[in-house]
Parts: sequence; C-alpha cells; structure tokens
Amino acid sequence: MIKHHPQLSLLKTYCAGELPASISVIIAAHIELCPHCQQQVEALTAKAAKDTFTYAYVEDEAEQSEFAEIDFASMIDDITLDDGIDEIKVAQPIELSLNQNTFYLPQVLRNLELSSWASLGKLSRSRVTLEDASLHTSLLHIDADGSVPEHTHNGFEITLLLEGSFKDEMGEYTKGDFIWLDGKHTHNPITEHGCLCLTVSSDSLHFTQGLSKLLNPIGKFIY
Amino acid sequence: MISTTTNNYRSSMKQNASLDGQEIDSKTLSGWLNDIAEKRDKRAFASIFKWFSPKIIGFGRKQFNNPALASELLQETMTNVWRKAHLYNSEKGAATTWVYTVMRNISFDMLRKMQANHEDTLSDDIWPLAEAQNSDEHVFADHLMDKQIAQYLNQLPDNQKQIVQGVYFQDLSQEQLAKNLNIPLGTVKSRLRLALTKLRQHIGADND
Ligand SMILES: [Zn+2]
Repeated sequence: MIKHHPQLSLLKTYCAGELPASISVIIAAHIELCPHCQQQVEALTAKAAKDTFTYAYVEDEAEQSEFAEIDFASMIDDITLDDGIDEIKVAQPIELSLNQNTFYLPQVLRNLELSSWASLGKLSRSRVTLEDASLHTSLLHIDADGSVPEHTHNGFEITLLLEGSFKDEMGEYTKGDFIWLDGKHTHNPITEHGCLCLTVSSDSLHFTQGLSKLLNPIGKFIY
Repeated sequence: MISTTTNNYRSSMKQNASLDGQEIDSKTLSGWLNDIAEKRDKRAFASIFKWFSPKIIGFGRKQFNNPALASELLQETMTNVWRKAHLYNSEKGAATTWVYTVMRNISFDMLRKMQANHEDTLSDDIWPLAEAQNSDEHVFADHLMDKQIAQYLNQLPDNQKQIVQGVYFQDLSQEQLAKNLNIPLGTVKSRLRLALTKLRQHIGADND
C-alpha cells in the first residue's frame, strides 16, 4: 500500500509541464505505480485544459494583427497533405538484471540510457542519462541487510521505491512510495530484503555522524 | 460584462477565432477528433484548427514570449492532432484535455530544447497520449496463433470473427476491412474491441 505521494501542488505543476525533466520523469514513474495519483493527474489535467482553453488569449491589438497575419489556410493544407498517422510504440516490459535479480523498470524510462553499474559494498548505482542541469537521476540498488549511513541532503533528494522496502527514522517504505527529502531531514535508510530505487538529487548527500563522516565520498557516489 | 470600449476588438477577435469557445460543446469537439481519426476528415480538422488556434497561440506567447515560437507551437500541435487523433479515446476524457496534453508535451520539448539544446522528445514518455491498453491488441497478436485461442475465436459471433481474422490472419488494415465489408471504420474498431475483450476474458480465466 503506497503511503507517500507527491503533494497536490507538485502534481499540478507536473500537469502544467513546468517541472524540470528529471522530476517530471520520477513523478511519471510514481504515477505508473499509483492509481490514486493517476486519477488526480487526470482531473488536474482536465482542469488545466479547461482553464487554458476557456478564453481566447490573443490579447492586444498588436498581437491580434500578428495573429491575423498567420496564414492558417496554408498551414492546414500543409499539415493535411500527408495522410500518414503516427503509431505509438508498443509498451514492452523493460527488464533489468542485477545481482541475480530481475526487475521491471517504469515505462517512462524506455528511451533513456542507463550507465554501467558501479558498486560500493552493498550499494550499486547506475545513472539515468537525462541531462537536466544540476539534477542527477539514478537507479540505486541496496542489497539485503544493506544501509546508507546517516546523512542529510545538501539540496533535495527524491526517492521512488521501485521494488522491495526500506525503513529509516521516519518510517517504513514500500513499493511505489515517493519520498522527498531536503536539508531539514537526516536519515539512515536500512533495507532488510534489499530494494531498488529511482532517485533524483540536486546535490550530494552529507554524512553527519562520527566515523561515517569519512564516508562522505559515498555521498558523492550516490548523488 | 464587456465594456463598450473593448467591444469592437472583442467582436473582431471573435471573428478571427471564428467559433467562440463557449458555444462549442465538448461532444462536437470529440466528434471532430473522431472524424479526423476515422475518416481523415479535413473539414473536421479545419474546424478543430479554427477553434484551438487562438488559444494555442495565446498559450505559446505566454510560454515563449516570442510570436515565431508561438506559431511553431501551433503548427506542431496541430500536426500531431492530425497524425495522432486515433490515439484519442473519447471514453477516457474530453477533447480539450487531449489537445492540451499534445500541446503541453510539445511546449515542454521546445522549452527543453531552448534551455539546453536537448534534442530529445521525452514528453510523450512522461505524459503518454494514449493509454497503455492501446498496445494490448498488438502484444496480443503474437499469441493469436495459439490453438486454444483459435477455438475461442470460433465461438465469437461471425461479424466479430471476420474482423479478427482479417486483421490478424490476413494482415488487412482496419480501413481496408471497412472498405471490403462496406461498413464504417468505427464499426470495425468496436467489433474488434468487443472480440478482443471476449478473447481476453477466456484467456484470463484459463490462466488464473
Ligand atoms: Zn501516489
């Protein structure tokens, strides 16, 4: 049962197409797993459409005359000259084999490349090749009984649990949970049976406790 | 409601837009989309175009603050409406919602291209224009030769069997079938949908 969802305001911005690509991708991945948010998004999109299309926007006279100059008739002719249609690609399961496990990745990743996996102890990470300024998108796998030492986030980190479960000081998370953390939070995720996450982070993690401060290079690794 | 000073320009704007938004009901709009999908109806397309173009241009100006880009958004959006209308499902939502999705997707890719010169077209993966179910029919086709399915096929009413055989065994397009059988394309589609639903129920029941 999914307990953690993107906030309504975030979903609204998502529907308006106003979020960075990587955040849009991780929300889309959550929606594939979450019928509740899927419904929300349908309603929000219908509302955005209604708001956008209820009024003609061509406002002042200058704009209006520019508008009048567009040759709509020839645009229509150009477009309809070609009778072809665009078929959509059939949705194929995207399989990922990792440490003798098979995972299925969200469809939204279908056209994105994954970098080769880098491992550090029980952590494995692959970058999702999605150039998006300072935002990094990754797949992160933690083997059974693995953990990420207590850390805080310099920027923010969004985690979508694709498979398995983990817990931290704030609770237990299961498949589909969407967790947004920022500098206010400090946590130490532990997984008993292993988990696969999709993450978007804006900055490296920062380890906060004792010896694990020595691990700060891992923070860069995960970011 | 409208002050007299702006009355003139409002009414001329109305002429530009040809059809005022409020007066077109959503049934008419989705009817036009279906006509584009099923009959490649250019008049329906021109009507859709006239209704949406001032709104898309207006949205584009807000997004890009540039008339040429707003015009590009219009051209690209309407091209997609023409080429992808078959992905619209009137049972799933209003025509305005679907056209908005098409426009928002193009605008997103255009902005991404402007900001960092990314040539990718991620938007249709983030916000699919059609339900994933639309592809079931194709996936399903791979298994259709299965003997058991052939049996179920025989249990279908003749008019549905005819369509399934035409599409999956004789490789006819739905348009060709409609022509051959002298029935509307919409009928071909709905019979096919019915038949596949029934077949799937059988198969699902056996796999449980
Ligand atoms: Zn949700």
